[in-house]
Amino acid sequence: MTESNLPAPEPVADLSKSPLPTAKTLRGRQNLLGQFLRFIAFDLRIMRMVAKGHH
Amino acid sequence: MAEVVILGAGVSGHTAALHLRRMLGRNHTITVVSPNSQWNWIPSNIWVGVGEMSKKDVVFPLAPVYQRKGIQFRQAKAVAIRPAGDTHDGRGAVDIEYTSKEKSGQADQLRYDYLINATGPKLRFEATEGMGPDGHTVSVCTADHAMEAAEKLREVIAVLKSGKPQTLVVGMGHGTCTCEGAAFEYVFNVDHELREAGVRDLARVVYLTNEAALGDFGVDGMVFDQQGFQTTSELWTGSLFRERGVEVILGAHVQKVEARLIHYETLDGATYTLDFDFAMLIPPFGGVPLKAYAPDGSDITSELFAPSGFMKVDADYTAKPYAEWRAEDWPTTYAAPGYDNLWAVGIAFAPPHQISKPLKTPNGTMIAPSPPRTGMPSGVMGKTVAKTIADRIRHGADAPAHTASMARMGAACVASAGTGLTKGSAAAMTMLPVVPDYQRFATGRDEKETRGELGLHGHWVKLMLHYLFLYKAKALPGWQMIPE
Repeated sequence: MTESNLPAPEPVADLSKSPLPTAKTLRGRQNLLGQFLRFIAFDLRIMRMVAKGHH
Repeated sequence: MAEVVILGAGVSGHTAALHLRRMLGRNHTITVVSPNSQWNWIPSNIWVGVGEMSKKDVVFPLAPVYQRKGIQFRQAKAVAIRPAGDTHDGRGAVDIEYTSKEKSGQADQLRYDYLINATGPKLRFEATEGMGPDGHTVSVCTADHAMEAAEKLREVIAVLKSGKPQTLVVGMGHGTCTCEGAAFEYVFNVDHELREAGVRDLARVVYLTNEAALGDFGVDGMVFDQQGFQTTSELWTGSLFRERGVEVILGAHVQKVEARLIHYETLDGATYTLDFDFAMLIPPFGGVPLKAYAPDGSDITSELFAPSGFMKVDADYTAKPYAEWRAEDWPTTYAAPGYDNLWAVGIAFAPPHQISKPLKTPNGTMIAPSPPRTGMPSGVMGKTVAKTIADRIRHGADAPAHTASMARMGAACVASAGTGLTKGSAAAMTMLPVVPDYQRFATGRDEKETRGELGLHGHWVKLMLHYLFLYKAKALPGWQMIPE
Protein backbone atom coordinates (compact mmCIF):
# COMPACT_ATOMS: atom_id res chain seq x y z
CA MET A 1 0.00 0.00 0.00
CA THR A 2 1.45 3.37 -1.00
CA GLU A 3 1.22 6.41 1.23
CA SER A 4 -1.42 8.02 -1.04
CA ASN A 5 -3.95 5.21 -0.73
CA LEU A 6 -3.56 4.59 2.98
CA PRO A 7 -6.91 4.96 4.76
CA ALA A 8 -7.34 8.36 6.43
CA PRO A 9 -6.59 8.29 10.15
CA GLU A 10 -9.75 8.25 12.22
CA PRO A 11 -10.79 11.68 13.54
CA VAL A 12 -10.69 10.66 17.20
CA ALA A 13 -11.17 13.70 19.43
CA ASP A 14 -8.18 14.89 21.42
CA LEU A 15 -9.23 14.70 25.07
CA SER A 16 -5.78 15.36 26.48
CA LYS A 17 -6.94 18.80 27.70
CA SER A 18 -9.91 17.32 29.59
CA PRO A 19 -9.10 17.26 33.31
CA LEU A 20 -8.59 13.86 34.87
CA PRO A 21 -10.12 13.42 38.31
CA THR A 22 -7.66 13.06 41.15
CA ALA A 23 -7.55 9.94 43.30
CA LYS A 24 -9.29 11.94 46.05
CA THR A 25 -12.14 12.91 43.68
CA LEU A 26 -12.56 9.30 42.54
CA ARG A 27 -12.67 8.10 46.15
CA GLY A 28 -15.19 10.82 46.97
CA ARG A 29 -17.46 9.69 44.14
CA GLN A 30 -17.73 6.24 45.73
CA ASN A 31 -17.73 7.29 49.43
CA LEU A 32 -21.00 5.97 50.87
CA LEU A 33 -21.63 8.72 53.44
CA GLY A 34 -20.64 11.59 51.14
CA GLN A 35 -22.66 10.14 48.30
CA PHE A 36 -25.69 9.68 50.52
CA LEU A 37 -25.58 13.40 51.30
CA ARG A 38 -25.21 14.19 47.57
CA PHE A 39 -28.19 11.90 46.91
CA ILE A 40 -30.36 13.89 49.33
CA ALA A 41 -29.13 17.20 47.92
CA PHE A 42 -29.80 16.14 44.32
CA ASP A 43 -33.31 14.93 45.17
CA LEU A 44 -34.07 18.25 46.84
CA ARG A 45 -32.78 20.08 43.77
CA ILE A 46 -35.06 18.04 41.51
CA MET A 47 -38.03 18.87 43.74
CA ARG A 48 -37.13 22.56 43.79
CA MET A 49 -36.83 22.56 40.02
CA VAL A 50 -40.18 20.79 39.69
CA ALA A 51 -41.77 23.45 41.88
CA LYS A 52 -40.05 26.27 39.98
CA GLY A 53 -40.26 25.16 36.41
CA HIS A 54 -43.27 22.89 35.87
CA HIS A 55 -45.77 25.43 34.66
CA MET B 1 -70.65 12.99 28.71
CA ALA B 2 -67.37 13.66 26.90
CA GLU B 3 -65.18 11.23 25.02
CA VAL B 4 -61.43 11.72 25.21
CA VAL B 5 -59.15 9.64 22.99
CA ILE B 6 -55.41 9.42 23.57
CA LEU B 7 -53.14 8.00 20.89
CA GLY B 8 -50.11 6.41 22.50
CA ALA B 9 -49.37 4.96 25.93
CA GLY B 10 -45.81 6.14 26.47
CA VAL B 11 -44.75 8.61 29.14
CA SER B 12 -46.88 11.53 27.90
CA GLY B 13 -49.96 9.60 26.71
CA HIS B 14 -50.14 7.34 29.76
CA THR B 15 -49.60 10.31 32.12
CA ALA B 16 -52.40 12.22 30.38
CA ALA B 17 -54.76 9.23 30.63
CA LEU B 18 -54.16 8.67 34.34
CA HIS B 19 -54.56 12.35 35.24
CA LEU B 20 -57.72 12.68 33.14
CA ARG B 21 -59.20 9.66 34.88
CA ARG B 22 -58.29 11.21 38.25
CA MET B 23 -59.81 14.59 37.33
CA LEU B 24 -62.97 13.46 35.53
CA GLY B 25 -65.98 11.50 36.71
CA ARG B 26 -66.68 8.02 35.37
CA ASN B 27 -69.48 9.40 33.19
CA HIS B 28 -66.74 10.63 30.81
CA THR B 29 -64.96 8.12 28.60
CA ILE B 30 -61.20 8.00 28.29
CA THR B 31 -59.84 5.70 25.62
CA VAL B 32 -56.15 4.93 25.05
CA VAL B 33 -55.08 3.57 21.67
CA SER B 34 -51.65 1.95 21.63
CA PRO B 35 -50.16 -0.69 19.31
CA ASN B 36 -48.20 -2.06 22.28
CA SER B 37 -49.80 -4.14 25.00
CA GLN B 38 -47.10 -3.19 27.50
CA TRP B 39 -45.78 -0.03 29.10
CA ASN B 40 -42.00 0.33 28.97
CA TRP B 41 -39.81 2.46 31.25
CA ILE B 42 -37.44 3.24 28.41
CA PRO B 43 -34.67 4.91 30.46
CA SER B 44 -33.88 1.52 32.03
CA ASN B 45 -33.57 -0.23 28.67
CA ILE B 46 -29.84 0.54 28.76
CA TRP B 47 -29.57 -1.81 31.75
CA VAL B 48 -31.46 -4.50 29.85
CA GLY B 49 -29.02 -3.91 27.00
CA VAL B 50 -26.05 -4.90 29.16
CA GLY B 51 -27.82 -7.81 30.85
CA GLU B 52 -28.16 -6.13 34.26
CA MET B 53 -31.98 -6.14 34.05
CA SER B 54 -34.40 -8.38 32.22
CA LYS B 55 -37.31 -7.31 30.04
CA LYS B 56 -39.81 -8.05 32.81
CA ASP B 57 -38.07 -5.48 35.02
CA VAL B 58 -38.86 -2.61 32.63
CA VAL B 59 -42.31 -3.47 31.21
CA PHE B 60 -45.78 -4.32 32.52
CA PRO B 61 -49.10 -5.03 30.80
CA LEU B 62 -51.30 -1.97 30.30
CA ALA B 63 -54.71 -3.67 30.13
CA PRO B 64 -55.02 -4.58 33.86
CA VAL B 65 -54.06 -1.02 34.91
CA TYR B 66 -56.58 0.53 32.53
CA GLN B 67 -59.27 -1.94 33.59
CA ARG B 68 -58.70 -1.05 37.27
CA LYS B 69 -58.80 2.67 36.53
CA GLY B 70 -61.83 2.55 34.22
CA ILE B 71 -59.91 3.59 31.11
CA GLN B 72 -60.86 1.99 27.78
CA PHE B 73 -57.91 0.38 26.02
CA ARG B 74 -57.64 -0.49 22.34
CA GLN B 75 -54.50 -2.33 21.33
CA ALA B 76 -54.35 -0.76 17.92
CA LYS B 77 -52.45 1.75 15.85
CA ALA B 78 -54.02 4.98 14.67
CA VAL B 79 -53.82 5.39 10.91
CA ALA B 80 -55.81 8.58 10.26
CA ILE B 81 -57.31 11.57 12.01
CA ARG B 82 -60.48 13.28 10.80
CA PRO B 83 -60.36 16.42 12.96
CA ALA B 84 -63.63 17.85 11.64
CA GLY B 85 -65.39 14.52 11.23
CA ASP B 86 -66.87 13.34 7.96
CA THR B 87 -70.02 13.80 5.94
CA HIS B 88 -72.02 11.62 8.39
CA ASP B 89 -70.91 13.19 11.67
CA GLY B 90 -69.20 16.49 12.47
CA ARG B 91 -67.41 15.08 15.52
CA GLY B 92 -63.73 14.32 15.13
CA ALA B 93 -62.76 10.72 14.47
CA VAL B 94 -59.70 8.50 14.46
CA ASP B 95 -59.30 5.52 12.14
CA ILE B 96 -57.52 2.67 13.90
CA GLU B 97 -56.24 -0.76 13.00
CA TYR B 98 -56.00 -3.41 15.72
CA THR B 99 -52.63 -4.98 16.48
CA SER B 100 -53.66 -7.49 19.15
CA LYS B 101 -53.44 -11.20 18.28
CA GLU B 102 -57.23 -11.64 18.41
CA LYS B 103 -58.18 -8.71 16.18
CA SER B 104 -55.00 -8.13 14.18
CA GLY B 105 -55.63 -6.11 11.03
CA GLN B 106 -59.26 -5.26 11.80
CA ALA B 107 -60.21 -1.64 11.19
CA ASP B 108 -62.34 0.52 13.44
CA GLN B 109 -63.19 4.17 13.96
CA LEU B 110 -63.40 6.09 17.25
CA ARG B 111 -65.29 9.37 17.62
CA TYR B 112 -63.90 11.92 20.03
CA ASP B 113 -64.65 15.23 21.68
CA TYR B 114 -60.99 15.72 22.63
CA LEU B 115 -57.94 14.04 21.10
CA ILE B 116 -54.33 13.87 22.31
CA ASN B 117 -51.69 12.67 19.87
CA ALA B 118 -48.94 11.12 21.99
CA THR B 119 -47.81 8.55 19.47
CA GLY B 120 -44.08 8.92 20.20
CA PRO B 121 -41.43 8.22 17.60
CA LYS B 122 -41.18 6.01 14.59
CA LEU B 123 -37.73 4.44 14.81
CA ARG B 124 -36.33 5.22 11.35
CA PHE B 125 -33.67 2.53 11.04
CA GLU B 126 -34.25 2.64 7.30
CA ALA B 127 -32.73 6.15 7.17
CA THR B 128 -29.28 4.54 7.29
CA GLU B 129 -28.62 1.54 5.08
CA GLY B 130 -27.66 -1.55 7.05
CA MET B 131 -28.50 -0.11 10.46
CA GLY B 132 -30.74 -1.71 13.07
CA PRO B 133 -31.72 -5.13 14.35
CA ASP B 134 -32.58 -6.21 10.79
CA GLY B 135 -29.17 -5.00 9.67
CA HIS B 136 -25.79 -5.08 11.33
CA THR B 137 -26.27 -3.05 14.52
CA VAL B 138 -28.25 -3.41 17.72
CA SER B 139 -30.45 -0.90 19.51
CA VAL B 140 -31.77 -0.22 23.02
CA CYS B 141 -34.84 1.72 21.88
CA THR B 142 -37.26 -1.04 22.88
CA ALA B 143 -37.01 -3.71 25.57
CA ASP B 144 -36.85 -6.43 22.90
CA HIS B 145 -34.08 -4.61 21.06
CA ALA B 146 -32.21 -4.23 24.35
CA MET B 147 -32.50 -7.98 25.07
CA GLU B 148 -30.91 -8.67 21.69
CA ALA B 149 -28.16 -6.11 22.40
CA ALA B 150 -27.37 -7.83 25.71
CA GLU B 151 -27.06 -11.20 23.95
CA LYS B 152 -24.68 -9.77 21.33
CA LEU B 153 -22.66 -8.05 24.06
CA ARG B 154 -22.35 -11.36 25.94
CA GLU B 155 -20.98 -12.96 22.75
CA VAL B 156 -18.40 -10.20 22.33
CA ILE B 157 -17.33 -10.50 25.98
CA ALA B 158 -16.89 -14.26 25.47
CA VAL B 159 -14.62 -13.57 22.48
CA LEU B 160 -12.65 -11.05 24.54
CA LYS B 161 -12.25 -13.64 27.29
CA SER B 162 -10.67 -15.94 24.72
CA GLY B 163 -8.00 -13.26 24.28
CA LYS B 164 -9.09 -11.79 20.94
CA PRO B 165 -9.36 -7.95 20.81
CA GLN B 166 -12.75 -6.51 19.85
CA THR B 167 -14.01 -3.06 18.82
CA LEU B 168 -17.29 -1.86 20.30
CA VAL B 169 -18.99 1.21 18.82
CA VAL B 170 -21.86 3.02 20.53
CA GLY B 171 -23.53 6.15 19.27
CA MET B 172 -25.85 7.83 16.84
CA GLY B 173 -26.76 6.22 13.54
CA HIS B 174 -27.54 9.41 11.58
CA GLY B 175 -26.63 13.08 11.56
CA THR B 176 -30.09 14.16 12.72
CA CYS B 177 -30.53 11.74 15.62
CA THR B 178 -31.76 12.70 19.06
CA CYS B 179 -31.41 10.86 22.41
CA GLU B 180 -27.63 11.28 22.66
CA GLY B 181 -28.08 10.74 26.41
CA ALA B 182 -29.11 7.12 25.82
CA ALA B 183 -25.98 6.40 23.78
CA PHE B 184 -23.88 8.21 26.41
CA GLU B 185 -25.35 5.98 29.11
CA TYR B 186 -24.99 2.83 27.11
CA VAL B 187 -21.34 3.39 26.21
CA PHE B 188 -20.38 3.79 29.87
CA ASN B 189 -22.47 0.81 30.93
CA VAL B 190 -20.73 -1.27 28.26
CA ASP B 191 -17.39 0.03 29.55
CA HIS B 192 -18.46 -0.89 33.10
CA GLU B 193 -19.47 -4.42 32.05
CA LEU B 194 -16.18 -4.94 30.24
CA ARG B 195 -14.29 -3.87 33.38
CA GLU B 196 -16.39 -6.16 35.56
CA ALA B 197 -15.65 -9.03 33.16
CA GLY B 198 -11.93 -8.22 33.36
CA VAL B 199 -11.59 -7.73 29.60
CA ARG B 200 -11.49 -3.93 29.24
CA ASP B 201 -7.82 -3.92 28.21
CA LEU B 202 -8.58 -5.95 25.08
CA ALA B 203 -11.54 -3.82 24.01
CA ARG B 204 -11.51 -0.66 21.95
CA VAL B 205 -14.63 1.33 22.86
CA VAL B 206 -15.68 4.17 20.54
CA TYR B 207 -18.43 6.76 21.02
CA LEU B 208 -19.57 7.88 17.55
CA THR B 209 -21.84 10.89 17.77
CA ASN B 210 -23.52 13.57 15.69
CA GLU B 211 -22.87 16.12 18.46
CA ALA B 212 -20.38 18.78 17.35
CA ALA B 213 -19.03 18.88 20.90
CA LEU B 214 -19.13 16.45 23.79
CA GLY B 215 -21.84 17.19 26.33
CA ASP B 216 -24.12 18.81 23.73
CA PHE B 217 -26.88 16.19 24.32
CA GLY B 218 -29.03 17.89 21.68
CA VAL B 219 -29.64 20.82 24.05
CA ASP B 220 -26.68 22.98 22.95
CA GLY B 221 -24.67 21.85 25.96
CA MET B 222 -24.84 23.33 29.44
CA VAL B 223 -22.87 25.75 31.54
CA PHE B 224 -22.53 24.68 35.16
CA ASP B 225 -21.54 26.64 38.21
CA GLN B 226 -19.01 24.44 39.94
CA GLN B 227 -17.44 25.70 43.15
CA GLY B 228 -17.66 29.31 42.04
CA PHE B 229 -16.41 28.76 38.49
CA GLN B 230 -18.31 28.28 35.28
CA THR B 231 -17.61 24.98 33.62
CA THR B 232 -19.19 23.42 30.56
CA SER B 233 -20.84 20.08 30.01
CA GLU B 234 -18.22 19.63 27.24
CA LEU B 235 -15.30 19.78 29.67
CA TRP B 236 -17.15 17.76 32.27
CA THR B 237 -18.12 14.89 29.95
CA GLY B 238 -14.71 15.02 28.24
CA SER B 239 -13.18 14.26 31.62
CA LEU B 240 -15.33 11.14 31.98
CA PHE B 241 -14.48 9.88 28.47
CA ARG B 242 -10.78 10.42 29.12
CA GLU B 243 -10.92 8.76 32.53
CA ARG B 244 -12.69 5.69 31.12
CA GLY B 245 -10.54 5.48 27.99
CA VAL B 246 -13.51 5.74 25.62
CA GLU B 247 -12.52 7.17 22.23
CA VAL B 248 -14.76 9.87 20.78
CA ILE B 249 -15.62 10.72 17.18
CA LEU B 250 -17.63 13.95 16.96
CA GLY B 251 -19.87 15.54 14.35
CA ALA B 252 -20.45 12.26 12.51
CA HIS B 253 -23.21 11.30 10.11
CA VAL B 254 -23.36 7.54 9.56
CA GLN B 255 -23.91 6.95 5.85
CA LYS B 256 -24.27 3.19 5.83
CA VAL B 257 -23.39 0.11 7.80
CA GLU B 258 -22.02 -3.10 6.38
CA ALA B 259 -21.14 -6.26 8.27
CA ARG B 260 -18.49 -5.08 10.74
CA LEU B 261 -17.94 -1.77 8.93
CA ILE B 262 -19.46 1.67 9.50
CA HIS B 263 -19.15 4.37 6.81
CA TYR B 264 -19.46 7.91 8.11
CA GLU B 265 -18.95 11.52 7.15
CA THR B 266 -17.70 14.21 9.51
CA LEU B 267 -18.38 17.94 9.67
CA ASP B 268 -15.37 18.77 7.48
CA GLY B 269 -16.91 16.68 4.69
CA ALA B 270 -14.33 13.87 4.95
CA THR B 271 -15.51 10.28 4.88
CA TYR B 272 -14.15 7.43 6.94
CA THR B 273 -14.80 3.82 7.81
CA LEU B 274 -14.76 2.22 11.23
CA ASP B 275 -14.40 -1.52 11.79
CA PHE B 276 -16.49 -2.98 14.58
CA ASP B 277 -17.39 -6.24 16.24
CA PHE B 278 -20.34 -4.83 18.17
CA ALA B 279 -22.29 -1.65 17.40
CA MET B 280 -25.27 -0.06 19.11
CA LEU B 281 -26.50 2.87 17.05
CA ILE B 282 -29.59 4.94 17.87
CA PRO B 283 -31.78 5.58 14.81
CA PRO B 284 -33.25 8.97 13.90
CA PHE B 285 -36.85 9.53 14.97
CA GLY B 286 -39.74 10.45 12.72
CA GLY B 287 -43.40 10.99 13.46
CA VAL B 288 -45.59 7.91 13.52
CA PRO B 289 -47.20 7.95 10.05
CA LEU B 290 -50.73 9.31 10.34
CA LYS B 291 -52.94 10.68 7.60
CA ALA B 292 -55.42 13.50 8.11
CA TYR B 293 -58.64 14.03 6.17
CA ALA B 294 -61.16 16.85 5.82
CA PRO B 295 -64.90 15.98 6.05
CA ASP B 296 -65.09 15.66 2.25
CA GLY B 297 -62.31 13.07 2.32
CA SER B 298 -59.61 15.34 0.92
CA ASP B 299 -56.11 14.81 2.27
CA ILE B 300 -55.05 17.51 4.76
CA THR B 301 -52.03 15.63 6.17
CA SER B 302 -49.62 18.44 5.24
CA GLU B 303 -51.80 20.95 7.13
CA LEU B 304 -51.67 18.97 10.37
CA PHE B 305 -48.22 17.46 10.16
CA ALA B 306 -44.70 18.71 9.41
CA PRO B 307 -42.77 16.82 6.69
CA SER B 308 -41.00 14.92 9.48
CA GLY B 309 -44.37 13.38 10.44
CA PHE B 310 -44.60 15.29 13.73
CA MET B 311 -47.81 17.21 14.42
CA LYS B 312 -47.79 20.99 14.17
CA VAL B 313 -48.85 22.76 17.36
CA ASP B 314 -48.78 26.32 18.70
CA ALA B 315 -45.10 26.86 17.90
CA ASP B 316 -43.57 29.50 15.62
CA TYR B 317 -42.51 27.46 12.60
CA THR B 318 -41.20 30.44 10.63
CA ALA B 319 -37.85 29.45 9.11
CA LYS B 320 -35.16 31.66 10.60
CA PRO B 321 -31.42 31.48 11.27
CA TYR B 322 -29.98 30.14 14.52
CA ALA B 323 -29.13 33.65 15.76
CA GLU B 324 -32.83 34.57 15.63
CA TRP B 325 -34.16 31.55 17.48
CA ARG B 326 -36.05 32.55 20.60
CA ALA B 327 -37.55 30.76 23.58
CA GLU B 328 -40.94 32.12 22.50
CA ASP B 329 -40.77 29.98 19.34
CA TRP B 330 -41.53 26.93 21.48
CA PRO B 331 -45.13 25.82 22.03
CA THR B 332 -46.93 26.41 25.30
CA THR B 333 -50.36 24.74 24.98
CA TYR B 334 -49.57 22.02 22.37
CA ALA B 335 -52.89 22.67 20.59
CA ALA B 336 -53.01 22.02 16.85
CA PRO B 337 -53.57 25.27 14.93
CA GLY B 338 -57.22 25.69 13.99
CA TYR B 339 -58.55 23.07 16.40
CA ASP B 340 -59.42 23.64 20.06
CA ASN B 341 -59.83 19.93 20.82
CA LEU B 342 -56.66 18.44 19.34
CA TRP B 343 -53.17 18.38 20.91
CA ALA B 344 -49.81 16.72 20.31
CA VAL B 345 -47.44 16.05 23.22
CA GLY B 346 -44.10 14.37 23.87
CA ILE B 347 -42.12 13.33 20.82
CA ALA B 348 -45.28 13.61 18.66
CA PHE B 349 -45.24 17.42 18.47
CA ALA B 350 -43.14 19.12 15.80
CA PRO B 351 -40.44 21.28 17.41
CA PRO B 352 -40.02 24.72 15.81
CA HIS B 353 -36.31 24.07 15.26
CA GLN B 354 -33.36 22.30 16.83
CA ILE B 355 -31.90 23.47 20.14
CA SER B 356 -28.28 22.77 19.20
CA LYS B 357 -26.80 24.78 16.35
CA PRO B 358 -27.50 22.91 13.10
CA LEU B 359 -24.41 22.33 10.96
CA LYS B 360 -23.87 21.18 7.41
CA THR B 361 -20.87 19.48 5.88
CA PRO B 362 -19.33 20.94 2.69
CA ASN B 363 -21.20 18.14 0.87
CA GLY B 364 -24.52 19.49 2.16
CA THR B 365 -25.11 16.74 4.72
CA MET B 366 -27.06 18.03 7.72
CA ILE B 367 -25.43 17.13 11.03
CA ALA B 368 -27.80 18.52 13.61
CA PRO B 369 -28.93 16.75 16.77
CA SER B 370 -32.72 16.90 17.04
CA PRO B 371 -34.20 18.33 20.23
CA PRO B 372 -35.03 15.78 22.94
CA ARG B 373 -38.71 15.73 24.02
CA THR B 374 -38.68 12.72 26.30
CA GLY B 375 -38.82 11.95 30.01
CA MET B 376 -39.73 14.70 32.42
CA PRO B 377 -40.86 17.30 29.81
CA SER B 378 -42.94 14.63 28.08
CA GLY B 379 -44.82 13.80 31.28
CA VAL B 380 -45.34 17.48 32.10
CA MET B 381 -46.84 18.11 28.63
CA GLY B 382 -49.20 15.14 29.06
CA LYS B 383 -50.40 16.38 32.45
CA THR B 384 -50.75 19.97 31.20
CA VAL B 385 -53.00 19.00 28.30
CA ALA B 386 -54.99 16.69 30.60
CA LYS B 387 -55.64 19.70 32.87
CA THR B 388 -56.76 21.80 29.90
CA ILE B 389 -59.20 19.11 28.76
CA ALA B 390 -60.54 18.51 32.27
CA ASP B 391 -61.15 22.26 32.71
CA ARG B 392 -62.96 22.52 29.38
CA ILE B 393 -65.17 19.55 30.17
CA ARG B 394 -66.00 20.86 33.65
CA HIS B 395 -66.17 24.60 32.99
CA GLY B 396 -66.92 24.94 29.28
CA ALA B 397 -64.98 25.23 26.05
CA ASP B 398 -63.80 28.77 26.91
CA ALA B 399 -61.68 27.62 29.85
CA PRO B 400 -58.13 28.84 29.22
CA ALA B 401 -55.48 26.35 28.24
CA HIS B 402 -52.80 25.38 30.73
CA THR B 403 -49.26 25.98 29.54
CA ALA B 404 -45.90 24.20 29.83
CA SER B 405 -43.20 25.47 27.51
CA MET B 406 -39.90 23.62 27.24
CA ALA B 407 -38.38 27.09 27.37
CA ARG B 408 -39.76 27.51 30.91
CA MET B 409 -39.68 24.01 32.41
CA GLY B 410 -36.68 22.16 33.74
CA ALA B 411 -35.53 18.59 33.37
CA ALA B 412 -33.37 16.14 35.23
CA CYS B 413 -31.20 13.85 33.17
CA VAL B 414 -29.54 11.04 35.06
CA ALA B 415 -27.17 9.21 32.76
CA SER B 416 -25.99 5.92 34.16
CA ALA B 417 -22.29 5.19 33.86
CA GLY B 418 -22.42 1.72 35.39
CA THR B 419 -24.57 -0.30 37.78
CA GLY B 420 -24.11 -1.64 41.28
CA LEU B 421 -25.37 -0.39 44.66
CA THR B 422 -21.83 0.33 45.83
CA LYS B 423 -19.91 0.29 42.54
CA GLY B 424 -22.32 2.11 40.23
CA SER B 425 -22.09 5.68 39.06
CA ALA B 426 -24.03 8.16 36.98
CA ALA B 427 -23.81 11.65 35.59
CA ALA B 428 -26.70 13.44 37.27
CA MET B 429 -27.69 16.66 35.55
CA THR B 430 -30.45 19.19 36.03
CA MET B 431 -31.21 22.00 33.62
CA LEU B 432 -33.65 24.88 33.78
CA PRO B 433 -35.01 25.56 31.26
CA VAL B 434 -34.60 22.75 28.73
CA VAL B 435 -34.56 25.20 25.81
CA PRO B 436 -31.97 27.88 26.61
CA ASP B 437 -33.29 31.42 26.88
CA TYR B 438 -30.46 33.86 26.26
CA GLN B 439 -32.79 36.82 26.81
CA ARG B 440 -33.35 35.77 30.43
CA PHE B 441 -30.06 34.12 31.33
CA ALA B 442 -26.51 34.99 30.23
CA THR B 443 -25.65 31.30 29.83
CA GLY B 444 -29.10 30.43 28.48
CA ARG B 445 -30.13 28.73 31.71
CA ASP B 446 -30.59 29.39 35.40
CA GLU B 447 -27.10 28.73 36.76
CA LYS B 448 -28.43 27.90 40.22
CA GLU B 449 -30.57 25.05 38.87
CA THR B 450 -28.33 23.85 36.05
CA ARG B 451 -25.85 21.44 37.56
CA GLY B 452 -23.93 18.30 36.79
CA GLU B 453 -22.48 15.81 39.26
CA LEU B 454 -20.79 12.46 38.89
CA GLY B 455 -20.83 9.70 41.43
CA LEU B 456 -22.47 6.74 43.10
CA HIS B 457 -25.38 8.92 44.23
CA GLY B 458 -26.35 9.43 40.57
CA HIS B 459 -26.80 5.68 40.23
CA TRP B 460 -29.02 5.64 43.31
CA VAL B 461 -31.10 8.49 41.83
CA LYS B 462 -31.52 6.61 38.55
CA LEU B 463 -32.48 3.43 40.38
CA MET B 464 -34.94 5.36 42.55
CA LEU B 465 -36.51 6.94 39.46
CA HIS B 466 -36.82 3.46 37.90
CA TYR B 467 -38.90 2.17 40.81
CA LEU B 468 -40.82 5.41 41.35
CA PHE B 469 -41.92 5.77 37.74
CA LEU B 470 -42.90 2.12 37.41
CA TYR B 471 -44.97 2.55 40.58
CA LYS B 472 -46.54 5.73 39.23
CA ALA B 473 -47.25 4.22 35.81
CA LYS B 474 -49.00 1.27 37.48
CA ALA B 475 -51.26 3.86 39.18
CA LEU B 476 -50.67 2.31 42.59
CA PRO B 477 -51.91 4.18 45.70
CA GLY B 478 -50.58 7.74 45.87
CA TRP B 479 -49.18 7.66 42.30
CA GLN B 480 -50.31 11.23 41.68
CA MET B 481 -47.96 12.46 44.44
CA ILE B 482 -44.95 11.52 42.30
CA PRO B 483 -44.16 14.47 40.05
CA GLU B 484 -43.67 14.05 36.33
